Amino acid sequence: VSAVVDPATPGAVAVPSVDAAPESQPIAWRHRHLLDVDGLSAAEIELVMRTADAMREVLRRPIAKVPALRGRQVTILFYEASTRTRVSFEVAAKNLSADVVNIAAASSSVSKGESLVDTVRTVEALGAQMLVVRHSVSGAPYLAAEIFGGSVLNGGDGWHAHPTQALLDLYTMRERLDGGSSAHSIAGESASPLLAGRKVVILGDLLHSRVARSNIWTLTASGADVWLCGPPTLVRGFEAWAARSAVAGRRLHVTTSIDAALRDADVVMALRIQRERMAAGLLPSLREYAARYGLTRERLALARPGALVMHPGPMNEGVEIAPDVASGGQSVITDQVTNGVAVRMAVLYLLAGTQASA
Amino acid sequence: VTASGPDLEISRAWLVDPSIGREGPGEIVVRDGVLEAVTWLEGADADGIDAKGVVVAPGFVDLHAHLREPGNEDAETVATGLAAAAHGGFTTVCAMPNTEPALDEPGVLALIRAAAAASGSPVELLAHGAVTVGRAGEQLAALGELADAGVVGFSEDGHPTRSGPIFRAALAYAGALGLPIVEHSEDETLTTGAEANDGYVATVLGLRGWPVAAEASAVGRALALLDDVAADVPGARLHLTHVSTAASLALIREARLRALPVTCDVTPHHLALHDGWLAGTRDWAWDAIDDNGLARDPWRDGARAAPPFATSLRVNPPLRCPEDALACLAALADGTANAIATDHAPHREVDKAVEFGDAVNGISGIETALGVVLAAVDAGRLPLLRAIEALTSGPAGVIAGRSRRATAGLVEGAPADLVVFDRSESWLVTADALASRGKNSPLLGMSLRGRVLVTLAGGRVAYEAAAD
Repeated sequence: VSAVVDPATPGAVAVPSVDAAPESQPIAWRHRHLLDVDGLSAAEIELVMRTADAMREVLRRPIAKVPALRGRQVTILFYEASTRTRVSFEVAAKNLSADVVNIAAASSSVSKGESLVDTVRTVEALGAQMLVVRHSVSGAPYLAAEIFGGSVLNGGDGWHAHPTQALLDLYTMRERLDGGSSAHSIAGESASPLLAGRKVVILGDLLHSRVARSNIWTLTASGADVWLCGPPTLVRGFEAWAARSAVAGRRLHVTTSIDAALRDADVVMALRIQRERMAAGLLPSLREYAARYGLTRERLALARPGALVMHPGPMNEGVEIAPDVASGGQSVITDQVTNGVAVRMAVLYLLAGTQASA
Repeated sequence: VTASGPDLEISRAWLVDPSIGREGPGEIVVRDGVLEAVTWLEGADADGIDAKGVVVAPGFVDLHAHLREPGNEDAETVATGLAAAAHGGFTTVCAMPNTEPALDEPGVLALIRAAAAASGSPVELLAHGAVTVGRAGEQLAALGELADAGVVGFSEDGHPTRSGPIFRAALAYAGALGLPIVEHSEDETLTTGAEANDGYVATVLGLRGWPVAAEASAVGRALALLDDVAADVPGARLHLTHVSTAASLALIREARLRALPVTCDVTPHHLALHDGWLAGTRDWAWDAIDDNGLARDPWRDGARAAPPFATSLRVNPPLRCPEDALACLAALADGTANAIATDHAPHREVDKAVEFGDAVNGISGIETALGVVLAAVDAGRLPLLRAIEALTSGPAGVIAGRSRRATAGLVEGAPADLVVFDRSESWLVTADALASRGKNSPLLGMSLRGRVLVTLAGGRVAYEAAAD
């Protein structure tokens, strides 16, 4: 079993042979948990992307399954309703031959007032080695990681982070901006500057979005020119982040002008807008939001021809995104879902490699 | 240093007595608990004595501590709280009235006094009474009866005095009794669900923002009410506690210029810690500012030393940005802030071992206060004399006449109320090292300079460090 290294490229990442157990692979991955993407280096992000390529290859096989995580128990503990992320993690873990346990907090003793600490201890006592946590309180996965003996994967916490979503978004952008081919294949080509200088717009409710926060980290680390756009009440606070990013050599801008944001954009990612924002006095109405910030065909015409349209889901069609845009030729929304499985397989695999063999 | 029972002789130390504005080499002698002699050394006798070693100061006065009894004895009791105070160098502690039941009538005061007596601690226990019955904000508590029973002020702490009319009435009523309203300034409509200081760190961590304006607007309202009342009630006084922002301090500074009868305190954590700690940095506020006076980025390479979202950092008001912390230090230095108060807020572990957003507010801080303040002194951010003044005669002035001590100074012939600490010695903050039941200190695992050797309160030994 050997890893693939491209000797021609300085700093090229060694892509693991994913048919083998991860602990048998010489993988340059040092994180036991994936709680955020703020600490990932460009090389680590590259390793996730390359490993996801390998997982995509697995997914194309007649039997899309490898034995890499055989005998390991992955527990999926969700304190918030979710379909796509939960199922995506479950499919990813099963494709790696892991045993999967699903816990929806509403149907567990959590609803009887059990603390997160007690729940995590119980789950560990029941054999969990990897724990995927989704929680409505920012930072909750860090608490889980403090007490859990295995690896914790953040499946989305509050407004804070959604690491696998950002990684799958990045994967999708790289793939599609590369002309739709999977040219950055397993066999270690250089870290092509696919995102460098590309204008990526994140549009909508930034304030409450963990997807946006994680995307800011991964996209700016990849050299993208990231524009945040939304109503003044929903982009507040991000100006300071933009100023800090500039100091750190990362390109992040904030604007309330959708025209300025969309002009010559390579990627437009619309975020879900929620009705609660009206009750909080942040928006006058969904109608006004749709009129001023909805992603319509006319507005999309300001972007570069063929610009990618993305959405982390679930969508409110007709509010933040017009139905014809969501299902139009520039939309890669279903690719995001498909790639989500490959990226989550990659992350599970890399984290498993940091654990002692089962 | 020799200490045996109530006899103590300390030669060749650095004495600090803010009540007379003096510090320098000296000696003290305590006999049978009485501070018999305070000798200031001069000339050759003073050679080789500096402020970097053993310091003798008057015992500290804490205007703001939560002792949790009655009602939450799992978090702290009067006995453990007073033991913690003595360990921190405090010889007078003002307990906050947000107990269960609230200290809104003399019976509750009698109860905690009995607990203090039963504890055997010589630390002086004082208390603030609630402003309203049950701290419910609707009806004035028994202010006159509480004053007669000996409370030192009135406070709704934990919350602001919500009702404008009640706040106004309380300022007048307490003013006639010669007591201050001790106000926790917060516009709670701006802080519903808030988790962390509104700003860069909260934005990146996805924490609900707690605006500076929520404090400053409440301070503005309190000062306007005081202005209104003080015109008719000469004794009306307002003390703003745990002020945490430059904006609030600017308003207070301006009110002082107009001679409004307002005092205020800042906490050790608000002057030295900052919101970058939520992201995982562990640097003092003055080290978190760059040469241009701007806060440094907690996400810069290598800056984060701990995991983010530590619930020991969750506190009300929240840890602010480094600029605000420096404003607290500047306010201490220029006298705008009269006192350093700990806002010692012990909690049970189960109330902190939860998600950040669900954790209770508060830092167990009475034992680390001196070390944190000395860190600011060591960094050249605060003169030692001024720091000690803000821990002694500053707060004593706010509760003037209500303490057993005539002044918070080194008074010859009076029962000794003093602390001896060694600035050259460090101690490791650990759960075991804290006498408080509340182990909720964000400084656990850190080493603090300035180890307390002896605390004498009312002429008795309140704390004595174990011999090495």
